[in-house]
Amino acid sequence: MPLFSRNSLIALAITLAIIATVFFAVEYLNRQRVAELRAIEDQLATNTLSLETQFALLAEAPCEDLASGTGLSQEVGGIGDRLAAAEEQLGKTDPEVVRLKERYTLLQIRDYLLAERIERTCDINPIVVLYFYSNVPGECADCDRAGYALSYLRQTYPSLRVYSFDYHLDLAALKTLIGMEKIEGRFPAFVIENKRSYGFTTLEEFEKAFPDELFESATTSTSTPR
Amino acid sequence: MNAFEIVVYPFLFAAIYFEVFLLVTLLSASKKKAPVPESLLPRVAVIVPCWNEESTISATTDSLLALSYPKDKLRIVLVNDGSTDRTGEMLESYASNPQVKVVHQENGGKFAAVNFGIQNAGGADLIGCLDADSFVEPNALREMIPYFDDATIAAVTPAMSVHKPKNILEHMQHAEFVLGIALRYILAVVNGLYVAPGPFSLYRRRVFDELGGFKYGYQTEDMEMALRVQKAGYAIASAPSARVYTKVMRTVPTLLKQRTRWTSGFLLNMIHDYWSLVGNPRYGALGLLVLPLAFFSIVGGLVVAGIALYHVIESIVRTVSVTYGVPLSYTLMPRFSLEWSSLPVTGILLLSLLAMLGSIFFIILGKRVSQTPGHLGCGVILYIFVYALVAPLWLARSVVEVTTGAKLSWRNTDARF
Repeated sequence: MPLFSRNSLIALAITLAIIATVFFAVEYLNRQRVAELRAIEDQLATNTLSLETQFALLAEAPCEDLASGTGLSQEVGGIGDRLAAAEEQLGKTDPEVVRLKERYTLLQIRDYLLAERIERTCDINPIVVLYFYSNVPGECADCDRAGYALSYLRQTYPSLRVYSFDYHLDLAALKTLIGMEKIEGRFPAFVIENKRSYGFTTLEEFEKAFPDELFESATTSTSTPR
Repeated sequence: MNAFEIVVYPFLFAAIYFEVFLLVTLLSASKKKAPVPESLLPRVAVIVPCWNEESTISATTDSLLALSYPKDKLRIVLVNDGSTDRTGEMLESYASNPQVKVVHQENGGKFAAVNFGIQNAGGADLIGCLDADSFVEPNALREMIPYFDDATIAAVTPAMSVHKPKNILEHMQHAEFVLGIALRYILAVVNGLYVAPGPFSLYRRRVFDELGGFKYGYQTEDMEMALRVQKAGYAIASAPSARVYTKVMRTVPTLLKQRTRWTSGFLLNMIHDYWSLVGNPRYGALGLLVLPLAFFSIVGGLVVAGIALYHVIESIVRTVSVTYGVPLSYTLMPRFSLEWSSLPVTGILLLSLLAMLGSIFFIILGKRVSQTPGHLGCGVILYIFVYALVAPLWLARSVVEVTTGAKLSWRNTDARF
């Protein structure tokens, strides 16, 4: 066989082997990512159970023990970031990602309900934002901007509690919450201090929807809003 | 697999396949040829076409006179191609040297000047061409002669290097030229060369007698000649230890102009005169692999650059839009995760890294086989990161020129080849 023909065939075989190895490696990494998601799921399950317990304890515990909140808010935010990364890597429709998102949504709803109950029972007034977005292409042009602004506000004002929900997630508890809060299919949608609003223009405009107490708490934060 | 991946994977496959082919073929590359005894050395004439080369012609001619070659077997033909500066006068200062012949002609372009030089080459067995902005090392000619021991070899190419690169573009081209040495060294094994560069390629005299002299070749007369040689069934060899230094472009506009000329020349030569070579099994590696991949790389370079540009612009617009109004102190805050699972490892990323490592390997190989002096680290980094940014510019310009039939500009302002 001529040298060129022989080398061409050998090169083809080696190239196919290299590409197969790369695809296998990427697939292996994705499987590991899924395993990582399962670990997060376990964590979510534990957190949900913890919230249930706190609900049960609320009847017995004195309010001053709950003044610092449920202690889950920061953790919930961290899981949200990892969930966003998983969505990016594995895709929004990956079954494992969707399942994790459902559990995360449930945890957020439980945390929100607990915060509401503490507010009523103990006269503690955390500032809460419910944020409803849509991942359907073309349905929410301003959701990225709204999400980014909320991330900034949460980072700048740690007392702010932000709960984000994918409006179209097929989850009965979420649909009930949407019904309770009377959220229409317009995005982005917010419930800030029990007041509904739709759309996002600028951060400056958005901040007007928040009570002044939030910005007074800025003295304890490291950065200052514009 | 998204649309971006569907478009990019074929080009990555082609790049990796080509690199693997080169690696496999490297195993068959010949060792350095034994020197030819002085008594058996052929007569050689080296043609130097000059057009307004007053700043470089002395160094070029002096380097030829310093070649380690019997003086009675080496003739230097300096052709003044209607220069308007002091070049003619400077050439005449060498006329008293018995090895040198100075001839003048009205400006007719490089190919015409070389042909005029060939007519004045006397009884030389081999004809060399050296651009007037290049100079050779003393042993370069002796290193090339042994490759003519094979009767099918019509031309031999040297190892081109950049002499003492200074600015960013020169360092980048230095690495590129060293990569070119490795590619020519390996592709010559399967007769896959389609250009015998202007800086000191050496031809058998009878090739010109049989195939004719140089042609306009859409301003790439050296490429046209090499393609003609290949079409006639001859082979082109590479002598990686024969060093010639050449001047390279120092500014982006002149680099763009030069590379546009090369790319357009390639496309026009192929489309108009040598299309029959592409995909033709008769021409082995050249017809089935090198030429198709050369086309594919032009298309690939443009497509991938276009997609990348689209994504960069889209990302910038999106980032500006999303972060507008939020304090910069928050936007610019570094955010990264130490968790491995958050790393954006994709097939495209891994295959791109492999292709990049392959390029670096061949640059190192080129430096080793040619014993190129100096460090290449800076050049390699620039080649990897800067070349990809500027190459699409000349690819796009060439494609526009070729498809619209725009007239190609003639001379370069700061280098000749």
